[in-house]
This record gives sequence, structure tokens and C-alpha cells, in this order.
Amino acid sequence: MHVLAASSAGVGLFFQQIENGVTIGAIYALVSLGYTLVYGIIELINFAHGDVFMWSTIVTLTVAQLLHFDHVLGGFALVGALLLLLIIGIATSALLNVGIERVAYRPLRRAPRLIPLISAIGVSFILENVAQLWKGANSIAYPVFFPTDAITLGNVTIPFLDIFIFVLAVVLMVGLNVFITRTRLGRAMRATAQDPEAAALMGVNINRTISVTFLIGGALAGAAGVIYSMYSNSVIFNSGFELGLIAFTAAVLGGIGNVQGAVLGGFLIGIIESLATQYVPNGIAWSQGIAFAILILILIFRPSGLLGQQVPDKV
Amino acid sequence: MSAQPRPTKGGLPLVQGIRDLWNSLVAWLDKTHILGKPLLWYVSGWRLAFIMLILAVIYPQEFDDSYVLAGCAVGIYVLLALGLNIVVGYAGLLDLGYVAFFIIGSYTYAAFSTGFLFKAANQPVPVPIISFWWLLPMGALFAGIAGVLLGAPTLRLRGDYLAIVTLGFGEIARIAVLNVPYFGAANGLNPNPAPQVTTPFGTLNFGNFADHSAFYYLTLALVVGMILLVSLLRNSSLGRAWIAMREDETAASTSGVNLVRAKLLAFATGAAIGGLGGILNAALVPSITPDEFFFNISITILVMIVLGGIGSIAGVVIGAILLKYFDIQLLGSLNDYIHGSPLVSDTSAPLHFLAGNDFNQDKFLIYGLVLLAMILLRPQGIIPDRRRQREIKAAASIEEASAVGVLALEEAGDTVAGMGASANATEYVGPGSDAQGRED
Repeated sequence: MHVLAASSAGVGLFFQQIENGVTIGAIYALVSLGYTLVYGIIELINFAHGDVFMWSTIVTLTVAQLLHFDHVLGGFALVGALLLLLIIGIATSALLNVGIERVAYRPLRRAPRLIPLISAIGVSFILENVAQLWKGANSIAYPVFFPTDAITLGNVTIPFLDIFIFVLAVVLMVGLNVFITRTRLGRAMRATAQDPEAAALMGVNINRTISVTFLIGGALAGAAGVIYSMYSNSVIFNSGFELGLIAFTAAVLGGIGNVQGAVLGGFLIGIIESLATQYVPNGIAWSQGIAFAILILILIFRPSGLLGQQVPDKV
Repeated sequence: MSAQPRPTKGGLPLVQGIRDLWNSLVAWLDKTHILGKPLLWYVSGWRLAFIMLILAVIYPQEFDDSYVLAGCAVGIYVLLALGLNIVVGYAGLLDLGYVAFFIIGSYTYAAFSTGFLFKAANQPVPVPIISFWWLLPMGALFAGIAGVLLGAPTLRLRGDYLAIVTLGFGEIARIAVLNVPYFGAANGLNPNPAPQVTTPFGTLNFGNFADHSAFYYLTLALVVGMILLVSLLRNSSLGRAWIAMREDETAASTSGVNLVRAKLLAFATGAAIGGLGGILNAALVPSITPDEFFFNISITILVMIVLGGIGSIAGVVIGAILLKYFDIQLLGSLNDYIHGSPLVSDTSAPLHFLAGNDFNQDKFLIYGLVLLAMILLRPQGIIPDRRRQREIKAAASIEEASAVGVLALEEAGDTVAGMGASANATEYVGPGSDAQGRED
């Protein structure tokens, strides 16, 4: 009897970790979409993407503090607050990402592949350290304004916030899919990703298409920033480094350049990480190392990722 | 191509200003004659190396000990920059986790100089005590082995993936020394007390330096030795294989370069020099903790070589000196100067908001700006590598021959300078990559 109770608690714990993993995985998926879109179109690892995400967290933190969102809101006030923060977060990251492309990547578009990557590292350092200059080196508590209630299913607790995060992420992903497959700009993006030269000959404005790609990638990271700070309740200037690398790992796991792959990779990494912190001895201390270990293993054994195509290098 | 007329170089006035300043400095050096030769002649080639060596030798006589200590730290970073330059500059493999080898060297010294590892606080585990002279090659050897272990599984990876994997390796090394027992976790290891060592430059009494000049000269000797070794390597068949591989892997391979061997040797050599730097670092500082070894260190070294000139020995030495000296001395002085200025210190002054800011914390912001500015404006660095400059010109003429257009040509001349291949560059020079013409 005792053993049975313990094992049922164990099963509950397992599903609780899955629930946590799906929630954080939704956030990873949103950020990893930005990596995959940009890589798909200009074959650049946008090293600054994690910091674009981080800027959404610190800007929306500032707004939330200014407007005193420091108590649990309800009804229209809650909807208004969420909309406002999402709009500001999305705008911040989207514009920042477009600006970065314009200043730091576009002049280097014809350079060897590693040169824009170094430029991206420079941008990442700048964004991170300007944020530190502004907000200081310590983490800042993010005000709690979302209701903290939860649904309980057996032994698994599902907070309302997690449901909101999941639904928002799915809505954004579906929206992205519709945009890419159904609109003219989406078609231009796909055409540019496939063959920029041919796309240009067909009248696609390459520069504008690339800007739109950065805009969308940044917007998704901005939305992720808003929900991530609500989820983690804290904001720090260097959060983008680790989360960015996890999201990049997710993009590679799914097959970089592949939109569905990035979503799949995000959820998988979220779940793996969540289970690892529970079941690997001393897992929390190693959690960052786990993401890297997964990345290294994928790159060595299946560099094309789960859903990616094996493309030989051009000679 | 509907190429619009390209605006003159440099959009921003500040950029143009810096460029003008640089050009007028070079013009002045060229115009001013001493003993019948222009100054520029004196500061190029081996004469520059000679002048720098003389300055480095007399330096401890002219400055007090805090400056000599700074000189030691600068020397260690010069070693690291030389090592990373082999991997990035010669072999064209972007390594973002170079700090891993620095960690290995530092921990090797810390463990074997005291003869203890720590299973937990106050639970020392004895290991053999090894003399400093043996530790130097041992640190290099351990790091070199780690370099091969990193290189072997990543051989097939393309450049940008390799960069991320090496970054992961650097982070895993840091997380490992933080979490694996025996390395003292967050408290790290304390390399003191270590036995005294007699060197040709005086006695090294580790951990209790009243005078750093012996250590300084030892570091300088190692730096000079490594510069000689690296320049020999560069002109050897291995060095030429590295450069061929950097330019075009496929072409190098078909010309008989063993890519596996060349890549592994590049990783191993670069790593061994990094390990040597780590040994010196641990011998110099009182304690080794994991939080000194963040990703930032790897990037700092990368900034040094980009600033000085990727692939150029003189360049990376000067880049390392400039950046590390800026870090140790200039930044602090700049901080004091800004805080002391009446524009900042007066409570009603317009810049008073800067008074609370410690500019010593902003060095990585400045490094980021330096990195971005160099890559965009002068990717060949302060002292460009001569072969690389020729390659830039060659790449430009190849593109001319392939009649891609004047627009692409000028661009290529600007941007190809970094690591990488002329063939690679031509791949990016299609009209498709910029059919609309530049709008900026």
C-alpha cells in the first residue's frame, strides 16, 4: 500500500515535470523560431537573438513597474495589461532585430560566413551590456499580476499562467504558419530561402523580405520575453545568453531552417530539461550543460536535425 | 543589375572621422623622415618587433610593481591570443570556447602545485606535487589533449556550427569544474603555497610576490619563444596546409592536405598554448574560481585578434596588449577621470547621472563595440596579415573577371578580409544577394 502511494506520487511527479517542460518548451519554441527563420533565409546564426528576447523582458519590466502592475489583476484590467505588455514587448524586439540586421548584418551579406557571426557576437555583447548598464547586474523581481490560481488534475497542478502561455504560443505559431504559407510576403520568404538569386529575378525585394524575416523572428522573441518574465518572476540582463543557446539547440534539434522542426525542438528540449532536473543527480547544477550536450550530440550524429533535410555543402 | 550609385564609404560622420584620423596618422608616419627613412618604415616588419622587444625588456625598470604585475597579465593574454590565432587565423576554425584550455591549464597548476584536490571543503585528497618547470609542459600537454578530444568529433562540422559547439565546450568546462567533485566547486582551488623556483631572471616565490619582475621576464621569454615558434609553424608545410584549408577546404584536400591531421594539429597547438597561458595565470593569481572563466574570456581573446588583425602575429600581439592594458589600467583611470570631472560630479551637472555608474563594469560593452566596429569598418585589423591582404586583392580581381559588377567588387574588397575563402566570397557575390542595390 505504501509502495503504491509512493509510486503514484512518482507518476504525478513525472507528469508534473512534463507539464513544466511543455510550458517552458512553448517559450523555447517561440525563440527558436527566430533562429530558424533567419538561418533559413540568410544562413546566419543570429547570435544576438537571445539578447533581443532579453530586451523585451527588461522593457516590459520597466512598463509593468511604471504602471504599478504589482497586484493580481482581473477582468478587463488583466486583458488590458497583457495586451499592452505584449504589444510593447513585441514592438521592442521586432524593431531591435530589424535594426540589428540593417546595421550589423546587411553590410556583410556577401562576406564569408564566419564574418557576420563575429559581428553578431559583437552585437550580442553590446545589447547585453547596455542592459546591464541600465538595469544593473542583479536579477530584478518581476511583479506578479497574473492570477496565481491553478487547476489540479490528479497529482498534477496546472497554473492558469501555464495555460495562457501555451495557448498564446500556439496561437502565434499557427499565425506564423498561416503567414508563411498563405500570404505574398510569406511566399517571398520561402522563395528567398530557397534561392535568393532566382527570387530576385522573379521580382522579390530581397532586402525587404529579409527585414520582414527579422521583424517576425524578433516579434516572436518579444512575445516570448513577456511570458517568460511572467513565468520566471525575475528579469536579468544576461538571461538571453542561456535561453538563446537553448533555443538555438532546439532549432538545430528540429532541423535548422525548418519551422515545424523548431517548434518540435522547443517542446522536446523543454521536456528533456525539465525531466533531467528531476531525475539526473545534481541535475539543476548541470541543466545548462545538458542543453549543450544535446546540441553537440545532434550536431555530430544528425546535423540535419529531426525534420531537416540532408543538404550537401555547396562546393 | 539595377545598381544605384553607391554612396561614398562610411555613412556615419563619426566613422568617417575615425577613418580620416587613421589615414592622417598613417600619412604622417609616411611623411615624417628620421635618418632618411619614413617613420612608417621603422614601425613595420621585424623593426617593429625589435622596438617592441626593447620596450618590453626595459618596461619593469621604468615602472613600479603594480605596472609590472599588469605586464604579466598582458603577457598571459598575448599567449592566449597567439594560441587562438592559430585556430581562428590560420586554420579558419572559429573557436568560441577557447577559455576551456585556459581553465585546464589553470586547474592543472592549482592542483599539482599544492599537491591537493578537494573532494569537499576541508576534505583534501593528496596528489603528487610537481615542480613548476614540469607543470609548464604538462599544462600544455593536458590542454593539447583536450584540444584533440574537442576537435575529433567536430571535424565534419561546418564553420558556424563548429563555433557554437566550441562555445558549448567552453561552457561545459566551466560547469564541470564547478560541479565535478575535487575541483573545489564555487570556491575553486587555491594554488598557494607553492615551492620557490629559481629562474634565470630571479627567484619566483609564488603567491607572495613582492616584486613581479622575475615572473614578468619569464612570461616575456615564453611569449617571445611562442612568437618564434608560431612564425616557424606558419611557414612550415603544416602552416601552409592550415592556410590552404582556411581558403578552401575542398581545394586543399584535393591538393593533398590531410584535413583531419591539419585540423587536429591546429586545435592541439592552439589549445597547448592556451594551457600554457593557464599555468602562468594560476601561478600569478592567489586563487582559481570557476566564475573567472565565463564565455566572456573567449570573446575577449577573439576581440584581441580581430582588433589586431586576424592571422597576423604582430597584429594579435598588439591587439592583446592594447585590449588587456585598456582593461587593467586605462579603464580604471577613465572611470576616475569621468567621476572626477565637474560635468559629472556636480549634482546639477548635465552628466550627473553617470556618477553612480562604475565604468569598470562596462568593459565588455566596449569590447562589443570594438568587435562590431572592426568587423564592419576594418576587418583586416590594425596590422593586417600581408598574405591576407593579397588574398583580398586576388578575391577582388577574381570577381572582376567573373563580371559580377563593380558594386559587388568594391564590397568584396571591403569584406572578404576576414577569415575565409575567396571561393566562399564569390558564392555570396551573386546579384541575388543584393539585387535591389544598397539602400543605406
